[in-house]
Formats: sequence, structure tokens, C-alpha cells
Amino acid sequence: SSHEHKLNFRKSKEVCLSYIQDAMLQKQWKRAAEFLTFYVESLEKDYSREQVGPSEMIWRIGTEILCHLSHSSMREFNCFIEQMKTLGIKRYLKVCLEHVFHLLCNGQIDEAYQNLSLAESWRFGEQTAIQDKEMKLIQAYRGLLDYYSWSKQKNILLEHGLDGFVDLSVEQEMHSSFRKAAVNLKEIIKIPGVWDLFVKCYVDLLEFYGDHNEAHQVLNEYAYNSRFPANPNAHVYLYQFLKRHGEPKKSLISALKILHDIVPSHELMIDFTTMLQKSKKRKKRRLGLEVIFAVLDYAGWKENVKAWSCLARQVKQIVISEKHLDWIKQEWDCRKDWWPAFHFSRYLAKRNWQENKSLSYEKALVAGILLGKDCKYFKYVSHQGCKAQVKRFRMLKKFVNRHNPVYLRIS
Amino acid sequence: MEFPPALFPSYFSAGPPREEGGPAPAAGWGEHGQVLEGGPGPERRQAQPAFVPRRGGTGEIWEPADAAAVPALPPGTGRWIPSPAPQDILYRNSRCRKLRPGKSGATLDFAKQLGHFFVDHPEDAFGTMGQLLHKNFYLGNSKLERPARSSTIRMTALMEDIDRLEARRGCHRQHLASRLRWFSHLCRDWLFEVPLGLLADCLHEELMLQWSDLLFDDSITGGALAWLPPRDTGSWIGRLVHPGGQAMNHLYFQDMVLEDLPHAQGSPAQFELSGRIRQVAAAQVDGEDFVGVRSDYHCGVWRVPGRRGAAPAPLQVIHTDVPASCLTVSPHLPGELAVCTRSGTVYLWNVETGLQLLRDDAQTMFFRDHSPWRWSDFTAHPRVLSCADRTGLQCLDARAPKKCHFDLFKVGEEAGCQQGERVVLPMYLGRAHPSQYLVTTQFSVYVLDERLPLVPVLKWAHMMKAPPLFAQLMPGDSRRSHKVLLGASHTQELLLLQYQGERYWGSQSACQMAGAPQKLHSIAGCLRHLPTQLPHRHHLLQQRLGAPAAGLVATLQEDGPHESMLVFQLSEAGDVFCQRLTHKAVHPPAPTSRDEATTAPGLVPSPAAALRYRRWLRTLYRGCEKRPQHPWSPSLSQRRLFTRRDLEGPVGPSTLQRQVRQWLRQVMQEGGHIQCWEPLALQPPALPQPPEPEGAPDPLSTRLTAAWSGDWEQWWEERSSFSVAQRQRALRERRRRQKRARGRRSLSASFTSSLTYQSELSELSDAGLPLPSPGRPPVLSQEGSPPASSPLAGSPPASPAPDEALLSSQSLRCRGIPKERRKTLRDYLSVWAEGPPDPPELPGSQTSQLCIPSSQSQLSSASQTRRKRPRMGF
Repeated sequence: SSHEHKLNFRKSKEVCLSYIQDAMLQKQWKRAAEFLTFYVESLEKDYSREQVGPSEMIWRIGTEILCHLSHSSMREFNCFIEQMKTLGIKRYLKVCLEHVFHLLCNGQIDEAYQNLSLAESWRFGEQTAIQDKEMKLIQAYRGLLDYYSWSKQKNILLEHGLDGFVDLSVEQEMHSSFRKAAVNLKEIIKIPGVWDLFVKCYVDLLEFYGDHNEAHQVLNEYAYNSRFPANPNAHVYLYQFLKRHGEPKKSLISALKILHDIVPSHELMIDFTTMLQKSKKRKKRRLGLEVIFAVLDYAGWKENVKAWSCLARQVKQIVISEKHLDWIKQEWDCRKDWWPAFHFSRYLAKRNWQENKSLSYEKALVAGILLGKDCKYFKYVSHQGCKAQVKRFRMLKKFVNRHNPVYLRIS
Repeated sequence: MEFPPALFPSYFSAGPPREEGGPAPAAGWGEHGQVLEGGPGPERRQAQPAFVPRRGGTGEIWEPADAAAVPALPPGTGRWIPSPAPQDILYRNSRCRKLRPGKSGATLDFAKQLGHFFVDHPEDAFGTMGQLLHKNFYLGNSKLERPARSSTIRMTALMEDIDRLEARRGCHRQHLASRLRWFSHLCRDWLFEVPLGLLADCLHEELMLQWSDLLFDDSITGGALAWLPPRDTGSWIGRLVHPGGQAMNHLYFQDMVLEDLPHAQGSPAQFELSGRIRQVAAAQVDGEDFVGVRSDYHCGVWRVPGRRGAAPAPLQVIHTDVPASCLTVSPHLPGELAVCTRSGTVYLWNVETGLQLLRDDAQTMFFRDHSPWRWSDFTAHPRVLSCADRTGLQCLDARAPKKCHFDLFKVGEEAGCQQGERVVLPMYLGRAHPSQYLVTTQFSVYVLDERLPLVPVLKWAHMMKAPPLFAQLMPGDSRRSHKVLLGASHTQELLLLQYQGERYWGSQSACQMAGAPQKLHSIAGCLRHLPTQLPHRHHLLQQRLGAPAAGLVATLQEDGPHESMLVFQLSEAGDVFCQRLTHKAVHPPAPTSRDEATTAPGLVPSPAAALRYRRWLRTLYRGCEKRPQHPWSPSLSQRRLFTRRDLEGPVGPSTLQRQVRQWLRQVMQEGGHIQCWEPLALQPPALPQPPEPEGAPDPLSTRLTAAWSGDWEQWWEERSSFSVAQRQRALRERRRRQKRARGRRSLSASFTSSLTYQSELSELSDAGLPLPSPGRPPVLSQEGSPPASSPLAGSPPASPAPDEALLSSQSLRCRGIPKERRKTLRDYLSVWAEGPPDPPELPGSQTSQLCIPSSQSQLSSASQTRRKRPRMGF
């Protein structure tokens, strides 16, 4: 009968849990809280050998309910979490971390810092791999908060430094904050992961103290280490760093070229193509055309005037100079079977004309050159433009008519 | 299209998942995940840094407008046959075990299904041999005669053995009865029309298929419901595309007016297809809707022109050799679709240029998985398609599919997956953000950005009981959250999630979950709001409303300041239910009204909804009553033994009917009333049993008396002595007692007792003993004089009832049934007419208990008395 008792107990536990779940999913937090008080009993006779024991569920559910209950105060929340921390040793660090997140989101930075320091000093037996990761995160977040206090003190010093009045203790505190932050941040960004926030702060610290080499190396590592995920931001940070420090065009281009290879639709590609277009080298200008065509392949750029005017400008330049028409031909060859339907349909001509005249102007120019003067998009837009007696549309019509042979050559 | 300037921190490692898996009941609650500085920007860092959580931010408030889902369309006219339930195909002992997908803890009841086949299709199972051999199978209960025994098998004995075997099921030490083993050994090879091994293989395969479908049916992934939104903003008429008909093979395009309760307008455009519709997908390109429809071996595409009321036009159909598992419509280019088949091929299908093979690989991508399910969808680049199997997603460039591809999602440590986690449904979230992707697994839901492959930008454990097979996106804009609706099939669960993409609060930010997830009404939930039903109708409704969901569609509708969300859910029975949620636009500054109980559990449906329920029920029942009734009562087909002419009974009412009519007339004339229709009721009510007459005490008293007086031994001698004379005496004694008893007992009981006597006599005669003089008159005439008021009792049936007529030797002869088969036939029918066989060797004293009124009907007992007559002449 003890077995039966266990079974019954488990059953009623499950039923109770399903009631809680149901109430929570219908946002009936009060009802869920009432059920949770019954569920707490399951802690007493915890026979389960499941992955997620009742103590973890109580922590999770209780936290969620307290976050949504209107009248619950921060004090109650802290009290609940402190109890939860003692409930499961394996989960201690995780609960601490989540508690810190909650404090941070509620603007209680100092309390969060205290909690982080406390958690950092916690030791219990052999650490598992997961606990190791959690500990590193705790240290990193403490480093981040140290960075923020460093940044605060730095601003105070900068303001007062202008007055000529320098408080030594503030300066000392600032340096100690720097050291604490640097140590912890440096640790975490060595491990493969997405550490945008930490990398940015660490680089800021290094740059302030003039350690450009170290900063460059950190950013290089973050962008190019193959054990890290292909994070576009890593390349963006590197590019911005290089730009800040006046690095030569060549290294900027090579940084952006790699970004282009991994994310052809990145917003920096507009800068990239403009930069390439200004170059004197043919190869780079060729790459510039490739980049802007690739950008416009993506649905997200479909109605971007900036991108279309970039392409229109480049195409126009090539057509006028009548050199390198083969570049357009090459780019167009792999697109001519789907760009007309994707960009230059009659429906889009109508809609673009209604919504954005300058977009339809740029697109009509490109369409007129790539598809000839009989193309639906060009015909509609130029017709509407001439009807509305807008001067640039008349010019556009003239230009396309004059250069119609180009279309024959590239198609 | 801008990439968020900073992402939430996360670890990244490669390799197979390390975390041990399993559904965790509360895994989705209480975590913020990570935080990110999401304040007004780095310039204003002097103030406190502001942090935003990855999960746990505030979301929009959507409140259900009604207490339950309401039927959107009248129920389909076709009769719906529920798909098999676990108890239909599982071995009964394992039914209570927990059914866990992937693990085979259940035992399929193979033998039962094979048995069903033999019973339901005997002609297909053993037609030829059965016809050849049926005279060698004896169905009677009595022993076989010497010459017949050599060529005839007594089936009842075999049946007994089988029953005994059945009773011993679950016992470890069961061994087959030798007779059964001998029988099966003898005829296993030739008795069956289809070779038994082959049949068993096929059945087993089918059972396994049914079972795996029951655990998880992925053929309906994506859902068979689509919504074509109103053309111009402000219009209230959209179009619902849904399957219907008896086999779900009709495609309907139904105009729907989006009022408080959406209702159909006009009659739908209808197309009949040649297979069950598994999936309906739709996308709007250049102001036109393209609708892709997938059945197992055919995929078709329809175009619905932009003009209002324009008729949908079928464009093209393709046929696949292997069932297709996916069909998605391109949101970028008109008339372009992606098709996958279960053999691992992925095609880009353009209505104008035809099919282009992108991939042909029966193996899964990242690790070995047995599932042949494949999926494909479009991405931000119109020439790049995603391609998924259970292990992950890859993106292929259609211009060079072999060379240009990258991994978008892997079930592994990269995304922090659990062991055993599998991709269930990928979906392109292009309408929310051009480079975002949704991937659901049985445990979690992931949002991916194709610019940062492998690392999910959002992950959340959805805690649904069944894997989400359907998903719907309702995109928000820069200020509003994106809404994702997940739907499961068997449990009908619906879960509404919200997430904020980029460009929130004026500046771009990484993806965050917004608000708590919310459960919506399921179809089955409306059962308790329906008017009370009769039990059988309640059961019917329960079954109908509980049918697995087959599709899901949701749309946002703006009506001035009010905004509402309409969710349509399709069930496998073809019913479409809908529910409305209203948006509480005002975000109060204080978090006071953020939380509380938006819906009281006991809310009642609005009058309009109640009316809708009533109408729906009326139509449903009308459809149900029309259907032909199949009497499935266990009956014996006699068609193969006799021709129809043989079975024709005498024309006109039977004696019994005539008598009952007469009686009814009489009672009406007298102005009396009928208390009970049973003819037996005509007799005076049974008197309380008078004490046994002195001369014949019951056996127990005799025995006790004997024991008391000390001559118990002698009593035993008398009892156990085997002399025939004694037994005959005992029998006669019993008959006397019975005769006495009959005077106060029912008529039918007397028949039974006389029958017992007769059969016992014949048993004795079988044993080679001289027959007791059979000079007794026919049984019925032995009766004591019945009450005169009764017109029924006492007089034998004037003309025999059909069965009797059939059994009489003469009638059998005149119907041309050969003499040697008449006995078999009689015995055979007697098996069905008789109750449980009487124990032949009961001591005489016990047989008296058989005099209690038996449950046999008047007719069958009468027929038995008739069948005795020829036997007496043996």
C-alpha cells in the first residue's frame, strides 16, 4: 500500500501541476498561486527521480507568478528567491543568476552587484560543467557592472577634470573598477560564444587606456576565430574600430569584404559599395557592382531607395561610359529569370508609384536599362511621370530611349 | 533590415546535444534567460544603465471575447469515421501504460486484428477451402458418430480450447493445447486464401503504420487551412480555404464576413480532388493569392485573382511517386512553390518553368534519423530555399544547390538542444522580419536569424503536450509585438506567443519574448457550453469535437480603435471553429491591470454564440440521422448454407403474433389494461414458493437428515452407485418432481426441463443402454391444465415458426437438403439456439435447479421441443 500511496501521491501531484499550468496559461495568476501553495506539499515527499524535480518547478512557477502578480513587491520577490536558493544546491548558481537579472531589469544595480559577489564566492564540492559556465557568466556580469561604475566615475572625472579639480579617491576607485572589470570580461570573451556586450565594454576599457593593440587583437579574435559563431556584429565592431583609428581603406575594405561574404544583405554593404565605387581600381568597382546587386536580391531591401539609387548610379555610370557593359551582363545573367517578376512587375510599378515616387524613379531607370524601354515597369512609371509632368521622369525616358541598344547587348 | 547592434550573451559550442532530454512540465516559466543593456543608447550612460530581459518583458493583452470557440461553418454533411484510438490496436494489458513517443512500450494486438479480418472478410480469408471443407467441420455439441469421426472435426471442442487459451493469457507458463497445435500445424499452409505469412506481414506493417501515425502523424504538418486576407484595408470579407467532404477531398474557397462572429457569405467555390487533402498553404504575391494544396500523391496550385469575388483558378497539378511531405508557396515570386517528398527530394516548382530538383538525398543531414519527413520553405533571398529534416535546416541556393548552402539550424549543442529533440515544423517569418525563421521542436520553439545561423536569437520551452504541427504568424510593426500561434493536432492545444523583433522603442534591439504565453480555446472546450444532450448524442459530440486538429489560421482585424484577432481551427472531422480575441489597447502605466484573471473559468457563451451552437447541433444531428443504420449485432450468416428460398418463412403473421393480437383486442374490448407485453405475464403472478412436499426433500436436506440419523454412508452408496437402474430411477423421480413443480412454474421453464430430460435420456442411449420407453406423449401435451383465461398457454403452436419449420425433417427434405446433412444442420443451429451446454453428469438432485425460468425466449425453446421429435425416432 505504500507503493499505492506513492502512486496516488504522484498522480495528485501531476493533477495539481496541470491545474497550475492551466491557470498560468490563461493568465489567472492568483488562481495559480493558490494551487501552488498546495503543490508545495510535494516537496515533503519527493520520490521523483525526474530531471526537473518539484523544487525547480516551484522556483520557476513561483518566480513567474510573482513577476505577474500586480501587488507583489520586490521585497517579497527577494524573500521567495532566497528561500529557493537554499532548496536546491545544484541550481544555486542558476537561481542567483536569474535573481540578478530580475534585479537588473528593475533597476536595482547595487543589489544585483551584491548578489553577484555573493554568488561568486559560493563553493560546493566539485563543479559540474554547467555550474562552471554559470560561474563564468556571474563573473562576467560582475565585470560588466564594474565597467558601468568605471564608466560613471570616468565621466565624473572628465567633467571635474575640466575644472582642474581632481579627486584622487575617485580616480583610484575608477582604476580598481577597471582592473576588476577587465579581468572578468577578458575571461569570458575567450570562451566561444556571443559576447557582444562584454566585447564592446572590454574594448572601450582598453581603448581608454590606450591599449589599441590588445583591443585590435581581441576584436580580430572575436571576428575570425572559427570556434566562435559567424556573428556579423563581430565584423561590424572590428570595422568600426578600424574606422575610428583611421586605418587605411584597404583594411576597411578587406574587413567589409568578409562581412559581405557571410552576410551579403548587411546594412553596411551600402557603405561598402559606395567605398568601392570611389576606388580607382577596376576590380574594386566591379566588386562594388556585385555587392549592390547582391543586396537587392534580398526581400528586405526590395523597397530601399538608398540601395536602388546606388545601383541606378552605378549602372548609369557604366552605360554612359559604355565601358564594362559585360559587368552588368554578368550580374544580370543569373538574375534575368527572376528579377523581372521580383522587382519589375506591373503591380509593383503601380504600388511604388503610389507610395514612393523617388523609389519608382530609381527602379524605372534600372529597369529601363536592364529590360529595355518596353519593359512594363519602365513603361508604366515613365508614362505616369510624364503625365504628372515631372521633369526628371521626362529626362529618364529620354535617357533610356537613347541607351536602348545597351539592353540588346546585355540580354 | 538592420542587424541589432548587440545580441544577448550566450555560450556557443558544437557537437551533439549534451543535456538529457525529456519533456519538463514547467521548463518555460520563470527565466529571464539573459539581459542586455537596452537603454536609450550608449550616449546617455551617465544615468543608470537600463537592462532588458530576453524573456519576461511586457506584452500586449489579448482577451478572449467569448467563453469558447464557436462553429464558423455548418458541420460537413459527410459522415465522419473517427481514426483508430490506441485501445483499438493495443494489446489490452498494455493500454494503461504510458505511451511515450519514440519508445515502444506498447504491444500491438496483432492476433485480435487478424481475428477481425477473418471474421469480417471470411470469403476473402478462406473462401475456397471453406466451401470445399465445410462438411468436414462439425459445429454441433454432441459427440460424433464412428464413421463420421474419421473425416470430421468437432469445432466446438476447438473453440473450447481457444477459450481456455484466452483465459490463460498473461500467464507465463501457458502452452498450447495439443489439439490446437495439431490443428494449426495441419492447416496453416493450405487453409487460407492468402498465404498466412504474407497476410501477417502486411497486417503487421499496417498496424505499425497506424500505431506510428497515432503516436505522431506528420503528414498533416503545416495544416490544411488557409486564410486569404481582405483585398483592401477596411474590407471585411476574407476567404477561408479549407478541405471538406466525406474523404476530406473537396477543396472549398469560402467567403467569410468578419463580424463579431464570422459567418460565411454565399456558397463556396468547390473543387473535387482525387486524394485526402493534407495541407493547404497560401501566400500573397503581387496582389494575388496563390494557394498550394498537398495530398499524398498530388500537389496542386490555384490562383485567386485580386478582384473581389473573382473565382479561383486551378493552375497546375503535379504527381509524385512517393507521398509528398511539404508544399510551401513563395511569398516573393508568383507561381513558385517548394515541394518535398518522403524519399528525400526537394523541388522548386515554378508554374511556368516546371520542376527543378534541388536535392535528392534519402539520408538525413546532420545525423542519422529514420524519419522520411522533409520540409522546405523560402528565405529572404528568393533563390535560396531552406530544406529541413528532423535533424535540422539547411539553406540551398537554387542556382547552385550542390555548391552553395549553409546550415541554418542543427539539433545539437549549437542551439542548446536536448537529447532526442527533433525538428517538427520550420516556418519562414518573412512577414515579421525578412531574415527570421521559426523552428519548433517537440520541446521548444526557436527564432533564428539567417544572418547569424545556428545560434537561435530566441529560444523558449513551450511546454505543450503534443508537438506543435501548425504555426501562424501575425506580424506586428515597429511598435507592436509579433504574434505567433502554435497549434498541436491530437490535443488541440493553441498557444499564443509574442515576441518583439528589431526596431523596438525607436532603436533596434535583439529579439525578446514579450509577455506570458497564453492558451486559447480548443474545439473540445465548447462541449461544456453546449446544451445538455442525451447520452448517446453526448458521446457522439464528444468524439466529434475531440477529433484531432488539422489546421490553424489566424488574422488580425482592425476596426477603428478596436483591434481583434480571429483564430480559425479545423478538425479532422472537417469542422471549422473560430474564436475572437480583443486587444486591450491601453497600457496602464502602473502594472496594476497587467495581470489579473482575464477570463473567469465559468463564463457563459454570448446569446449569439449559443444560437450558433444550437444551429450547428441541429445540422449535425440531421446529418447523423440520415445515415444508414448498420445493425452490427452478432449474427450468423446463413446465406452460404441455404439459398434465400430456403430461408423464406411462411407468409403471414405467426401464431404468436396472432395470439397476441387477439389478446390485445380482447383487453381493449374489456377496457382493461396491459401491464406487461410478455405473453408469460398472462399467467397469474408467480406465487411464493410453497414448501417442498414431504415426499421429496431437497438433496441437501436428505443428505443432512441421513447424516443426522447416522446412515450417511448408505446415502453415499445410493448416490454414487453407478447402476443404471438406479440412475433411471433417479431420473424418473426427478421427472415426477419436475412435473409437480411445473404446475406452479412458467411455461418456458417446463420446456427447458423437459429438454434436459430428453437430452439426458439420449446420452444414456448413446452409451448403449436400452431406451426407457419413449411412449410418452409429446412434451407439450404433458402440461397440467393451464388457467382457462389464458389463450396462449397450453395450446401448442398451430403452425411452426420459421426456425421450427426449418428444422423439421420433412421441411428439410422438401428443400432438397440431403439426409446426411440434416443432422449436421440441426446440430449446427442448435448451437445457436441453445444456451450454455448442460453439464451432462450432474447428480440428479442438482438438475432440479434447472427448472428456474431460463432466459431463453419462447420461440427458441419451442423450436427445441420440435427438434426432439425426429430424434426420438432414432
